[in-house]
Amino acid sequence: MNRTIEVSLTLAEGAIVRTLGLIERRGFVVHAVETATEPQGGALVLRVEVGSRGRPFDVLLRQITRLFDVRHAFLVEARAGQRLVC
Amino acid sequence: MKGGEALLEALRDRGVDTVFGYPGGAIMPLYDALLGSGIRHVLVRHEQAAAFAADGYARVSGRPGVCIATSGPGATNLVTGIANAFLDSVPMVAITGQVATPMMGTDAFQEVDIFGITLPIVKHSYVVRHIEELPRIVHEAWDIAASGRPGPVLIDLPKNIAAGEAHGAARVHAPQPAPVRADEASLARAAAMIAAAERPVIYAGGGIGIGRAVQAFRDFVAETGIPVVGTLKGLGAIPTDDPHFLGMLGMHGTRAANEAVQKSDLLVVVGARFDDRATGKLDGFAPGARVIHLDVDPAEIGKLRQADVALAGDLAGSLAALGQRPRIAAWRRHCLRARAEHAHRYDAPGEGIYAPELLRRLSFAAEGEATLTCDVGQHQMWVAQHCLIRRPERHLTSGGLGAMGYGLPAAIGAQLADPARTAIAVSGDGSIMINIQELATLKRYGLPVKVLLIDNQSLGMVRQWQELFFERRFSEVDLSDNPDFAEVARSFGIDAMTIDAKGQVDEAVDALLNHRGPLFVHCRIDPAANVWPLVPPGHTNATMLEGSLQ
Repeated sequence: MNRTIEVSLTLAEGAIVRTLGLIERRGFVVHAVETATEPQGGALVLRVEVGSRGRPFDVLLRQITRLFDVRHAFLVEARAGQRLVC
Repeated sequence: MKGGEALLEALRDRGVDTVFGYPGGAIMPLYDALLGSGIRHVLVRHEQAAAFAADGYARVSGRPGVCIATSGPGATNLVTGIANAFLDSVPMVAITGQVATPMMGTDAFQEVDIFGITLPIVKHSYVVRHIEELPRIVHEAWDIAASGRPGPVLIDLPKNIAAGEAHGAARVHAPQPAPVRADEASLARAAAMIAAAERPVIYAGGGIGIGRAVQAFRDFVAETGIPVVGTLKGLGAIPTDDPHFLGMLGMHGTRAANEAVQKSDLLVVVGARFDDRATGKLDGFAPGARVIHLDVDPAEIGKLRQADVALAGDLAGSLAALGQRPRIAAWRRHCLRARAEHAHRYDAPGEGIYAPELLRRLSFAAEGEATLTCDVGQHQMWVAQHCLIRRPERHLTSGGLGAMGYGLPAAIGAQLADPARTAIAVSGDGSIMINIQELATLKRYGLPVKVLLIDNQSLGMVRQWQELFFERRFSEVDLSDNPDFAEVARSFGIDAMTIDAKGQVDEAVDALLNHRGPLFVHCRIDPAANVWPLVPPGHTNATMLEGSLQ
């Protein structure tokens, strides 16, 4: 099962690597990555398409959220267009 | 003010008076600043020991431990200790030297990317690029290490930053983040579940001690009367001789603890994370139980076992709201009967020393007041099973990482954090050799740490598994060519004795508790002794193997 996670990061050394590394270490597969700078500056938006072989995405989301550089993270609901903010 | 001085000033602002480390090229400007700084530096003999000592210091004091190493090999030698702190949620600030910023990325002498190497095993990390950032980074690192679920934070300090002049580096004192509270609706649901439970069990983890929630936990147990089982790191959350306590659960847990969990209809999980050593085969763990999970880290909830009620937040705050007394008199009687029926036996035959009996007598003679640190292996499980432990911070063990070599340096940290309390490092003949050089640190600082070495002339836990699960095919576990450990200790200037008969146990216990200065007790035991009971790998906790006393 694949889902897309959007993460807002403080622009700090290691923030992207730390986030992507955590996703892989926790047993998920990174299929695609997009990045953009937030219009206000100072932050980076990371959209990651993540695959799981049964591990829960909500737990991954909480693991990402506890990283110090992460401002917020949410699952992009593909069908309903809803966001689950964590 | 130079960068190194600014860093130390920020540490002093946070009350740091002791750090553990080992100097080298890239970190020399910081060591220069240490002179006359008012901060005591404890020179260990291997950087791994600096991290373990800082870990022991933190667990006893409740405040982040600080360790320092130079770049390259100094930094990589810290890695095991940083990982240990990460897996056991210990607050730590690790400071590494780094080559000067213009040299970074050029494969310079003693350059490694310690920031990258440690990314998966730190709570956060920094490379200091500008001197002016130093105070903010140190204060931020301290707060991150100590707040919420604690953990290690790395500060990689390039040499030119430590040596450079800091102009306008402002003092920063970030406010401590307020504890997060669980939501009221979930607390009310949890309270109702507790009140209605018929066979509840409290599953106590290391988060209780680390979160300084011991009193709140004890109040909760007293109010509810619910039987308690503990993880390895949860031991001491209530005294192990408390009538509510059924023992450690899991692979080397007690039958009473594992049976109670398996039969329970409600598990109240407090600061624990369903570690595989505690749960056995996860899908057969507590099969009939609903789960209330309390943890300061929301990411632990639902990771391995779905919670029926999740209470993410400060443990003490949540526990105070849950004092519902269920009607469980019959269940309590059943649990107490099981505890009595399956109590450990100490009547081992023969004249040799039965290590569980020695450890039990030692801890009871100390009335549970000594700090016991452990290495990893059979002796570690014997301490957990048989010792009287009255507080979590008096039982220091490498739970998550299982790092041999932890015990002696952790005892050094513990002794310095609480100088009036006896610190005893219980080790094995495999483990002691990992950081035996720290006997020199005991001697140098006159630390009255006691070492109790349980010597079975083998890597005992691996040997036991090869005996039980690899058809007695013993592979690379024989250590019968060990050195004479008492002579080794004496060569470091440490008083030592060797014992191998039951009749010598009293003398050894007396010496361990009353000898002035450091002491090394080398205790020879039967090489065939095993740890019982044992849940075989891949089984549920309902399957427990028992063996004979040796």
